[in-house]
Amino acid sequence: MTVRPSRFPAALGLALAVALTGCAGTAAPDEVGSSSSAAASTSAAASASTAAATPAGQRIEVQVSGGGASGDTGRVPVAVGEHVTLVITSDAADEVHVHGYDLEAELSPGQPAELAFDATIRGVFEVELHEAGTLLLSLQVG
Amino acid sequence: MELLAHGVGSRTDLPIPLGLALYGAGAAILLSFVVLLLFWRQPKLDRPSSGLPVPAAMQRLLDSTAVRRGLQAAALAVTVLLTAVAVAGPAETARNLAPWVLYVTFWVGLVPASLLLGPVWRVINPLRLVHRGLRVVLPAAPGAGRLPELGLWPATASLLVFLWLELVYPDRAEPSTVAVFLIGYAVVHVGLALWFGEDWFAAGDGFEVYSTVIARLSPWGRRDDGRLVLRNPLVNATLAPVDRGLAAVVVVLLGSTAFDGLSRTVFWQTGPGAANDSLSGTVGLLVMIGVVAGLYVLGARLSGRLAGQPEGIQPRRYAGTVIPIALGYTVAHYFSLFLLDGQTTWILASNPFGLVAVDLFGTYGNVVDLTAVGSDAIALVQVGAIVTGHVVGVTLAHERALLSARRARASDQLPLVIVMVLFTVGGLGLLFGF
Repeated sequence: MTVRPSRFPAALGLALAVALTGCAGTAAPDEVGSSSSAAASTSAAASASTAAATPAGQRIEVQVSGGGASGDTGRVPVAVGEHVTLVITSDAADEVHVHGYDLEAELSPGQPAELAFDATIRGVFEVELHEAGTLLLSLQVG
Repeated sequence: MELLAHGVGSRTDLPIPLGLALYGAGAAILLSFVVLLLFWRQPKLDRPSSGLPVPAAMQRLLDSTAVRRGLQAAALAVTVLLTAVAVAGPAETARNLAPWVLYVTFWVGLVPASLLLGPVWRVINPLRLVHRGLRVVLPAAPGAGRLPELGLWPATASLLVFLWLELVYPDRAEPSTVAVFLIGYAVVHVGLALWFGEDWFAAGDGFEVYSTVIARLSPWGRRDDGRLVLRNPLVNATLAPVDRGLAAVVVVLLGSTAFDGLSRTVFWQTGPGAANDSLSGTVGLLVMIGVVAGLYVLGARLSGRLAGQPEGIQPRRYAGTVIPIALGYTVAHYFSLFLLDGQTTWILASNPFGLVAVDLFGTYGNVVDLTAVGSDAIALVQVGAIVTGHVVGVTLAHERALLSARRARASDQLPLVIVMVLFTVGGLGLLFGF
């Protein structure tokens, strides 16, 4: 694995530190993907961890009731390569759609639906309900 | 499929890194003073006789009526096909070619096309051909005399309608919306051209004016003896006519792109725009255009007052110098859309009507590769475009000031330059996401 030198100083103190500690040992840097605070770090650390499977990953839960969304809504940062598990519980039948990754899951009232995937594409992607058109959250991968 | 801020698309760009935003802002401010204080003190770009003429045979070909009619006929055929796809193609936006062509390939693609090739849409505008055909039956253009006094204001209205559709209207990406828009646009503009004469298209057709405005920064120009020449784009931009209403066009373009940037920020999505409806979008769009207009008019007038110039003419006189800034914004906001989600056009074009077992180009099974351009490259292009647009804008304004008064002081230009810096820092702020 290679670590590219950081290009942009401001955001990267943390990133560099994480990347260096990650590469110092021989083990996969499992700490990189384990918490959402690490998601704020950018390129170097994140791409370094892409290959490493992170068993824990990030769990994002959203509840929908009466047409409104609650839980992990808004802009949710995710590190590149992290394993993401989206859990959506809705009080009405609908379909949830993750843009860009183009993933869909049927929602039955009261039944939590799970979408699990590796966040390998950088960018900001909306997660929304097909029928109602409700925006649940935006995944910020990078 | 619900759609994102700009018409269609499956993703938006990551916020640019703070460091890059700050470097960009610093560079813009520093370079502004370099232009003001160190660049030429005599007008330098005002050279109508400059340029490298293209071969006469090539010019005859490009200017020939037959070639233009042929190109317009081809564009008309594509437009008719696209309208048919919008009406009768797959109902789902994700599988219908029309929204992707209109909002991505055509609208965004018009920018590089016009920048590289000149005012392409004026040459191939299919509505000009339709109008010419109908004029045989309806020869009179009763309103032709009134057109010059309207300047580019009709195009401002035309662009505003399209931009509202693209950025605000919730059902913008439905194929049926695109069908209604395409048919409505053709009927309205051909009708107005029958009333005002063929010159309507150069004054009122938003797409044609957009192409022409961007083409001011292309290397293609007309020498004062009519020869088609290749020359310094800054000379073209300086020589372009100071049209009435040009400031309005530029302000609408800049303000709408700024609104698009704003609508992608967390601030907007969780604050004023949380409702995600037509009302908040319309207000946001108009406010952003209003802010840009207010700042621009203020800066241009203040600079005029310092230089002892009549203030009323100032906003129009300097409008052309803001075009590069608007262009920088456009590149920053849409180039990744063009390269990434724009791939959809080439996939769907292989089977426009979504029929079974049709795959004209063998691309229908392809999947959009959203990693084709890396996020670091996107961020660099975004900041590079904004800063380049700024420097070109300040340079053109500097030249314009010297043309208005041969002994113009650098300090007179300061208010307008400060406004340009505000546009640029604001643009970088929107990319950073505040």
